[in-house]
Amino acid sequence: MTQVSPPESGLVMIEVKQLVKRYGPVTALDHISFEAKPGEIVGLLGANGAGKTTTMRILTGFMPPTEGTARIAGFDVLTDSMEVRRRVGYLPERVPVYPDMTVEGYVLFWANLRGLKNAKQRVHSVLQRFDLMDRRYKLVRSLSKGLRQRLGLAQALVHDPAVVILDEPTIGIDAQQVIEVRNTVRSLREAHTVLFSSHILTEVEQVCDRVVILHQGRVVASGSTDILSKQMKPGTHLYVALQGKKKNEIRKLLEKLDGVTGVREHEAGFVLSSDANTDLRATLSEMIAAQRLTLLEMRPMETTLEDIFLNLVGKK
Amino acid sequence: MGAIGVIVRRELGQYFASPLAYVIGAAFLILTGVQFNNDLTLSITVRPVNPALIPDFLSIILVLLAPLLTMRLLAEESREGTIELLLTAPISDTSIVIGKFLGAWIYYTFLLLLTLPYQIILINVASPDLAHTMAAHLGIWLYGGACLAVGLMFSAMTENQIVAAFLSTITLLTLYMGESVGQIVANVDLAAFLFNLVLRGHYAPSFAVGVVRAEDIVYFAGMIVIMLYIAIRLLESRRWR
Repeated sequence: MTQVSPPESGLVMIEVKQLVKRYGPVTALDHISFEAKPGEIVGLLGANGAGKTTTMRILTGFMPPTEGTARIAGFDVLTDSMEVRRRVGYLPERVPVYPDMTVEGYVLFWANLRGLKNAKQRVHSVLQRFDLMDRRYKLVRSLSKGLRQRLGLAQALVHDPAVVILDEPTIGIDAQQVIEVRNTVRSLREAHTVLFSSHILTEVEQVCDRVVILHQGRVVASGSTDILSKQMKPGTHLYVALQGKKKNEIRKLLEKLDGVTGVREHEAGFVLSSDANTDLRATLSEMIAAQRLTLLEMRPMETTLEDIFLNLVGKK
Repeated sequence: MGAIGVIVRRELGQYFASPLAYVIGAAFLILTGVQFNNDLTLSITVRPVNPALIPDFLSIILVLLAPLLTMRLLAEESREGTIELLLTAPISDTSIVIGKFLGAWIYYTFLLLLTLPYQIILINVASPDLAHTMAAHLGIWLYGGACLAVGLMFSAMTENQIVAAFLSTITLLTLYMGESVGQIVANVDLAAFLFNLVLRGHYAPSFAVGVVRAEDIVYFAGMIVIMLYIAIRLLESRRWR
């Protein structure tokens, strides 16, 4: 079996063009396009059901697209599936393990299945890399979730693939392990092209060079992560609940305030939006005092992924 | 080592690592041991020993045994999600199915070898027709292969092991005694035709009496090939769903 060749420079490692996937009447992916160059870490950001897993499954050759093309290192996932599979290391969202195997046996199984020549040596080197060498004779069933995640990464990297595809590798593990996994992903940059999916905004910002934001099967934004953090963080949000006047009167007063860029109803009060460098609290409390209103509640709101999507989808 | 070899080794490891394999092995020995003991007792006074004793017995219990041995093969991979890694590894669907099948067949061969001591005892206390014994064992080995292929096919169909076992038991039962329909319709031609379709029709009149016929070998081999082909197609279809 052929060994995985090092990525050629200048080549696009992952190329997705107008990809469509339909499950019967449901369109999971709607003409998405993006690409990744060698050594890049590209993040797929999106809520559950946005199409992240479907995109990855198409790229790994697990399922075919309905329309469009996807290429890995220049090989089409449909027509050159074997070449693609040789070059891809894949960690699905739920780390698939054989509980009855030992840690070493499990990684060795995948190394042998991929026909690696110096399988044992490769296995030991990835086990060492993920700090699993001491546990190599342990049964997989006895591993904690975080260790299983590392085992999954070892499996995905044992054949030193040009492209590594990781489907939400930080889901369901504790904070310390999340940091480890993020560091690992960052360390892959030198030798691999990485496609990394997540629904956590800050994580993608920290780990990835570029990001593709998916929403309901469409790319709503893509670009470098700096751009993302500047453009997509729509200032600050403040939640206030006031009493003393009718709701629409309060709304009008809030809209008139200096620095307020948007008002929307939320729970029993309103969410005020403003630019990132404006603090609304002072003007707000002055207004409350002047209008003799009662302040029931005031708290800052986190910028959620949902807000960003709403923002982006709203713009489109 | 090719992909098929890697999968065979993993399957054998799985059989021998799980307690179920030993429970099946023990149950198998108890059941065949009782049969053998009874036959030996009868042979002292009533009639000569049956050289095809163990194969005859197996031809019935394989209906239950084969689904037990095969239900996990692909259904478990689907349920645990490991199928996603298998199908994205650079190996063909054919090697996955053949590897799984060979793993099960080799384990079944191991079970068959466990009955070897009976034959040794028999040779020492009686003078059995060895050619007859060997023909019957060859027959039941192929018969078993066909049953396992049916089980594997159903394991490829669902991710629920119980459903896989149930469907293969029903199918094997039909294949075992389907010809009894011929007795109801009272049509000799139809009965003969049905008898040629079922598993027993290619074991009872030939291998069991020490006759090796090409048509029976072709029947079992053909059944294995067809079932594995369907299993490969079913596995492929996962990519298209």
